[in-house]
Amino acid sequence: MVVYSFYIFDRHTECVYSKLWARQDRPISGGSTSIRPISDASATSNGAPPDLGPARARPARLSAQDDAKLIFGTIFSLRNMVRKLGGPDDSFISFRTGQYKLHYFETPTSTKFVMLTDTGTLNMRNVLHQIYVNLWVEYVVKNPICPVEHPGGEGVANEKFEMGLETFVKGFV
Amino acid sequence: MSSFYILQTSFPTATAPKPQLCTVVYALIIINKAGGLVYQRDFTEGLNKLSVNDYLVLAGTFHGVHAITTRLNPLHPPNEPPSGIEVMETEHFRLQCFQTLTGTKFLLFTEPFQPNTDKIVARIYELYADYVMKNPFYSLEMPIRSEGWERRLVREMRVLNSR
Repeated sequence: MVVYSFYIFDRHTECVYSKLWARQDRPISGGSTSIRPISDASATSNGAPPDLGPARARPARLSAQDDAKLIFGTIFSLRNMVRKLGGPDDSFISFRTGQYKLHYFETPTSTKFVMLTDTGTLNMRNVLHQIYVNLWVEYVVKNPICPVEHPGGEGVANEKFEMGLETFVKGFV
Repeated sequence: MSSFYILQTSFPTATAPKPQLCTVVYALIIINKAGGLVYQRDFTEGLNKLSVNDYLVLAGTFHGVHAITTRLNPLHPPNEPPSGIEVMETEHFRLQCFQTLTGTKFLLFTEPFQPNTDKIVARIYELYADYVMKNPFYSLEMPIRSEGWERRLVREMRVLNSR
């Protein structure tokens, strides 16, 4: 089991915390066009990213912020879709693609906890709930110097929370 | 396999209530490659009924979300061409999505513990190929209105739901 990343979104749709594990930024050796040395002149003259094939061209790497925005858009749309079909008390738990699985947990105050893992992982809803109860509530909500809202992630990434999350995730991997 | 079932049924548990297997297929939605709704049908009660307009919106939304989820791949560079949502789980239902090579998406809504949903979708795809695509009066990417397809699909699902 591998945990790829973890995100917290507040009720204002802002990503207040994100943590990435096992992010593989290195290109694979061989095969890829990005391996080929491209001189600055030719790269700038093109302007466009290198063409990686006709149909399913590999999309360029997104920045972490863009990733977070896309994840929020996805869970927001899916959550609304699930509520429409399954009734207002239904909630969306997880979805899986061929490459990863996204787990979702929402508190009554619409703080959203999202975790991306590999596809073989079983239900992680209780894990996200544990993170909420044992880390978020203990180290962020009960922290007297943390603001009530967290614009720009203010006060969330404190030492205790970071360390707790790290050991917690290491514990079940 | 069949002998296994016979063994099970002949096992002396007749006094106990028959174990209720969770095999319920709620609904099927087919979305064309442009994100338009071409077919929607409920087989049993279980999901909320939406208006035709809402189903169209839902199909378009899912099409977009599906495209986004292919870009969210945490493994870079990907080992294989990324696929979008395959299975989605909620408290009340499970959504199995199958995308054909031409981009048509089959969404099957089932009970959360329904086994072999991928087989069911494959079977539906087969019926679709036979009774929709081979229908000379069907115009591509348009809503499906074919009696033969409807009849066979409903029969197939009734067999599954009554098991």
